[in-house]
Amino acid sequence: MYLYLPVALTSINILIPVGLGLAVGLLSGLFGVGGGFLMTPLLIMFGIPSTVAAATDSNQIVAASTSGTYAHWKVGNVDFKMGIYLLAGGFLGGLVGVQAIKLLHAMGNADFVIKMTYVFMLGIVGVYMFIESLQSMKKKKAEVAEAKEEKESAVGRFLKSLPLQTRFEKSGITHSALVPIVLGGFVGVLAAIMGVGGGFLMVPIMVYMLRMPMHVVVGTSLFQILFTCIEVTFLQATTNHSVDFILAVLLLLGSTVGAQVGAVFGRKLRAEQLKILLAVIVLVVTVKIIFELTLTPSLLISQAGGH
Amino acid sequence: MKSKVKSQKSKVKMGLTLTFAFFILQFAFAGTASAMLTAKANHDHISIDFFYHGSTVSVKGLSDAGRDLVVKITSPEGHQVLKKKGKVGGLLWMNVGTLSFEKTPNLYEVFSTRKIGDILSVEERGKYTLGYEALATHVEVAPVADASEKAQWFGEFVKFKEESNLYKSDFGKIEMKDLPDGRQEYFIQTQWPYQAAPGDYTVSVYAVKNGKVVEQAESHVKVEQVGMVKALAEMAANSAALYGFLSIGIALSAGFGVGMVFRKGGGSH
Repeated sequence: MYLYLPVALTSINILIPVGLGLAVGLLSGLFGVGGGFLMTPLLIMFGIPSTVAAATDSNQIVAASTSGTYAHWKVGNVDFKMGIYLLAGGFLGGLVGVQAIKLLHAMGNADFVIKMTYVFMLGIVGVYMFIESLQSMKKKKAEVAEAKEEKESAVGRFLKSLPLQTRFEKSGITHSALVPIVLGGFVGVLAAIMGVGGGFLMVPIMVYMLRMPMHVVVGTSLFQILFTCIEVTFLQATTNHSVDFILAVLLLLGSTVGAQVGAVFGRKLRAEQLKILLAVIVLVVTVKIIFELTLTPSLLISQAGGH
Repeated sequence: MKSKVKSQKSKVKMGLTLTFAFFILQFAFAGTASAMLTAKANHDHISIDFFYHGSTVSVKGLSDAGRDLVVKITSPEGHQVLKKKGKVGGLLWMNVGTLSFEKTPNLYEVFSTRKIGDILSVEERGKYTLGYEALATHVEVAPVADASEKAQWFGEFVKFKEESNLYKSDFGKIEMKDLPDGRQEYFIQTQWPYQAAPGDYTVSVYAVKNGKVVEQAESHVKVEQVGMVKALAEMAANSAALYGFLSIGIALSAGFGVGMVFRKGGGSH
């Protein structure tokens, strides 16, 4: 059955957005990512204009991350305090990133920088997570603990010397309040430049730099994504008029359920298994982008507004 | 004297009669020349509701026998800014800037009885913008260095539009039937793409003889959003803040709602 989308000005078989929502929502609940890096290109592939695809995806992520945050909160896996610090940093970083994009556009090489940042960040995150989680799975538990201790002592000394040390009870860690704010800011800058939510960057930063437990990372990341996407949806609706309400409803029918299933399924997997699965997905997306960059495209013209 | 006046009166009367007869004949011949070709679109008002997935539009009418026909369906001309892809460093394909296409319709479909190049001269095609070749000359593309670069990007533009079913050029699809009165009836049915935006579209029919357009007729198709589709589109454009709040509100409620359902259904979750 087909439904007409009043803002996208196109008609779509309802099974497509519901199915896509289900699949991406599942990843969201499992890994704590919004899934924009998967959903937006898929929607464009099915004929949705790029500006509408990106804006409407933000709207549906509000639903999926609400559903996912709720599921993780019920089992005590959301560190609200850490989430708020990261959000504050992300907000500031977003402001910087938007200015950086303006500067890049003025210099005339914005698209090149955006694409390269995207490929490098995805590639680095994917390769690092893949190797690290593979090693963790191979090594004996005792060895992992020993290695972790070594690493922590190297970085830890610097982090402990910073002012405003704060205890994050839910994650069981102590950090300077500046650490999550600066890291959140870093992700905010990159996310604004790349035009994505940044969940795939935030998750490894929480795991490897903030040393949060993987299951708390997923819940906290979703909590943070929820607020980012509320802001983005509102801005997109008021400035670009590009949120398609009907498409968002079709997507969220699948994604809210997918996020719940993902959260349940995720609790049955070990942290290393979750990390390696996310690494594989990130690497597959990286390879896909590299192919897109190197193979001659069938169309040399596209709508303005997307990447 | 009386008979002289009478003869003058009858001369004037005769002159008036002849002049009247001349005008009648002229009008009648002019009418024959411009009223033979007719065009009627069967589906001239297309309503877009939630279940709209495109439509069909058929055009039919009458023309003089032995004429070739060209049917053109277009939206009003406008300008479109699109991204162009190019190779960076001789290796990577990415967006390398924008191209502006001026005087381009968003929808452009041309159907002819025979190959358009075989029935119309280049000048005539250019005069009525019939066929991609004529449209390429009519359209302005910027920035381009020369005519060959313009032709290359116009070709890409047509490919892009054809991909979205908004541009079409075809021949041999117009059905013709000879009538006993020496005229011919024509009929063509075409798929109306759901990608065509709401608006007013013009159907122009051209009768062709000896490489020239000899007659022209027009009909119109109006595409309009109705009901909830129209209400939502208008709200997104005119009450953006309210629309934004509504979209976020629904998403939050759906997220919580599904969360509650799962808790109830799943117990242990």
